[in-house]
Formats: sequence, structure tokens, C-alpha cells
Amino acid sequence: MQTFTMVLEEIWTSLFMWFFYALIPCLLTDEVAILPAPQNLSVLSTNMKHLLMWSPVIAPGETVYYSVEYQGEYESLYTSHIWIPSSWCSLTEGPECDVTDDITATVPYNLRVRATLGSQTSAWSILKHPFNRNSTILTPPGMEITKDGFHLVIELEDLGPQFEFLVAYWRREPGAEEHVKMVRSGGIPVHLETMEPGAAYCVKAQTFVKAIGRYSAFSQTECVEVQGEAIPLVLALFAFVGFMLILVVVPLFVWKMGRLLQYSCCPMVVLPDTLKITNSPQKLISCRREEVDACAMAVMSPEELLRAWIS
Amino acid sequence: MKLQCVSLWLLGTIMILCSVENHGLRRCLISTDMHHIEESFQEIKRAIQAKDTFPNVTILSTLETLQIIKPLDVCCVTKNLLAFYVDRVFKDHQEPNPKILRKISSIANSFLYMQKTLRQCQEQRQCHCRQEATNATRVIHDNYDQLEVRAAAIKSLGELNVFLAWINKNHEVTSSA
Repeated sequence: MQTFTMVLEEIWTSLFMWFFYALIPCLLTDEVAILPAPQNLSVLSTNMKHLLMWSPVIAPGETVYYSVEYQGEYESLYTSHIWIPSSWCSLTEGPECDVTDDITATVPYNLRVRATLGSQTSAWSILKHPFNRNSTILTPPGMEITKDGFHLVIELEDLGPQFEFLVAYWRREPGAEEHVKMVRSGGIPVHLETMEPGAAYCVKAQTFVKAIGRYSAFSQTECVEVQGEAIPLVLALFAFVGFMLILVVVPLFVWKMGRLLQYSCCPMVVLPDTLKITNSPQKLISCRREEVDACAMAVMSPEELLRAWIS
Repeated sequence: MKLQCVSLWLLGTIMILCSVENHGLRRCLISTDMHHIEESFQEIKRAIQAKDTFPNVTILSTLETLQIIKPLDVCCVTKNLLAFYVDRVFKDHQEPNPKILRKISSIANSFLYMQKTLRQCQEQRQCHCRQEATNATRVIHDNYDQLEVRAAAIKSLGELNVFLAWINKNHEVTSSA
């Protein structure tokens, strides 16, 4: 009887334990939630830079990590079980991932994300509509127009090797022809045109991505003007005539002034005609015979004669 | 005399039409970024070719004797070879290394895009497969079948540079770089 009771007790305990153990998972699932999968997956793509974003999984006091995987159209058609881990986002912290280096062909790509917290991992959350990079938003390029003397120079924003630029420029006057130049890469100054003085030139640009065969909208038109530095023709003529006049007048003036100075400071002394001695000096001495002895027969110069006559 | 004139005129028209058609077909793949595909291949070339266990055998042998591929056959051969790689080679190769897998995926998806572009081009112009073109691609398939699948796939991957160079030569593709 005692043995039977003991056996019953044993069975009862086992049943009870078994029941208890069976209940544990149910109790636990009610108390602790499975790590939820990230929600609201979307791709923001601008100028061929693609950003996968999702709503973060909230775990108070803990850091949740995310892993991203992708699958090109090739994989989804031929090897649908193969998903490739993203180049930069295996266990990333932020609720976003730059998948530019993963999306390398112009075909639809499937993208999926899951959250990891310690040993727990969530289910995969897949992007609703596959992403094709030909849906990227292309913005008009930033451009800087400068004047290098008379040269019109443009420097475009560097958007990477996939971008080419179409630059349109024209002279701002009615009926002017619009020129178009293809610029292969940005970040380098490019010469557009040698401008004529006094004219205004306008420029606008757009990008072209060969990989997707699409153009962006044109940027805002920017115009520059070059000041007219050349003197009008009439003024130039006057200047020339004046210069020639100066070349002639100045030497004449200098010569005249020289003559004037010569006359005023150092004049030449000239005898009047009536005082000029034309014969030999001996014949002018008028002495009587008796006074011959008194008069010395002397030869006198015209100046001495003049002095004797005056005194 | 009249007959000679008419036949000369017909010949001239045919030649003009052929050159126009050829020029058109040559422009089919012009928007493809071949430079990126070549770059991807260069990064994995050494690793792939190192795994090639039959160095004395060539699969793309007919492509190497380029003289036999006439301009009229370019569209057909391109279409067939893209299908060869997309339908057979990439599928038969199982790549364990994630870095190499990324590059192969990039090339495979780019080839898929090229097939789509070529198909659009074909809709506008006809892409007939003449006997010579069909023979050339059949030789390639036969070469592939003679080897064990994995070895054949690795070898074909290693010969991608031959195919890419052939495309560059025959499709006047300008690289973006």
C-alpha cells in the first residue's frame, strides 16, 4: 500500500514538473517579446547616392545593430536563395545604410534588413518595391562662373565619375547663337569662350549620367559682363593729333626761347656805319706841318681814335 | 549599259543600307558603363584565374580569331554570348568568398542590363543570326561542355576580359572615365 502511494506520488510529481516545464515557454513569450524586425524600409536616392533607411528598433538601454543584404535582378531570377551582405552594413548602428557601392547595375535590386541585439536576431524585413538606380533624383549642378581677363571660365561641382555635364552659353543679345560644350568631369576650371569687351555672356549647365541615360534639369542661368576698356575711336584720333602737335611745337618753342635768352644776356657789340674806318689809319691824322713834330706819327686803332674823338 | 547601271545602283544602295544598319547596331550598347565592368573584373581576375585548373584550354577560342566575326554578325554573337554567361557561367559558379561574389554579382547584373538594352535595339533593327555566327557560339558551348561544370565555369569567368575587349572593339563603347 505504501509503495503504491509512493509510486502515485512520483507520477504526480513528474506530471506536475512536466506541466510546469511545458508552461515556461508560454509564460516567457507573454512576458518577453521576440526582437521585432525593422519597419518602414525606404530608399532615398539623390545624384546616384543611394541611402536605405528604416524605422529603428527600440530597446531601452541597449544598442541594436542592423545587417543589410541585397540581391540584384540576376540573383532574384537565377539564384533566388542567394543574398549578398552589403559592403558597409554588416552590424551597423544607425537606422540607415549607404548602399551606393552595392547597387552597381541599372537593374531592380531587392534589399533586406534585420536587427540584432546580443544573441537575438529579428526576422528579415524586405523593401516593398525593388529599387532601380535609374529612379535617382538628379539635381542641377552647382557651378562657379569666373572671368580670367577676357576668358569665360566655369568650374562645376564634382559629382563623381558617373557624371558628365552639358554647358550651354550665349551672348546676351537678341538672336544670339547658343553654344553647347560637354564637360567630362567636375572640380576642374574649364575655359568656355574669349569674351568681347562690353558684351554680357550667360551660362547654364545640366548633368548627364551615362549609366542610366538621364539628364538633370538645367541650373539657374548666370550672366557676366566685361567692361569696355578700349577708348572710343574719336578720342584716340584726337589723342594722336595732339601728340603730333606736341612733337612739332615743343622743339620750336625751345629754340625760340634759346634765341631770346641769347639776345637778352649776351648781345654782340656792333659799330654804326658812320664810325666805321674804311681807309688806312695814317691818313686820318690831321696835323699841320708845323705841328708835325708835336704830333707823333703814330698808328692808332679805330677804338683809340674813337676815344680820342670823344674825349 | 542600262543593266550595268541598275546593278551598280542596287549594289550601292545595299552597301549604304548595310553600313547604316551596322553603324546603328554598333551604337546599341553605347550607354553601357563598360569601364565599371572592366574595373570589377580586374579586381577579381587574379583570384579567378588562379583557380583555373586547365590553363592550356580556351573556351572563347572563336572570339580570339576575331577576323571571322563579320560586322553583320556582331549583334547575334553579342546576344548569344551574353546569354551564355548569364544562363550558364554565372549560374554554374558557386562563389564562397563574399568579396568576389559581390564583383561577380555586379558583372552578372550589368550583363542582364546589357541584354535588355540589346533587346530594345533589336526591336528597332533586326538581329539575324547567320550560320557563321551560330557556328561560332556553338563552338564556345561545345568547349564549355567538354570540361567539368565547375572547371568550365571558372575558366569562362577567367576569360571575361576576352569578351569585354571584343565588346569594346565591336560596339564603339566609350568609357565614362
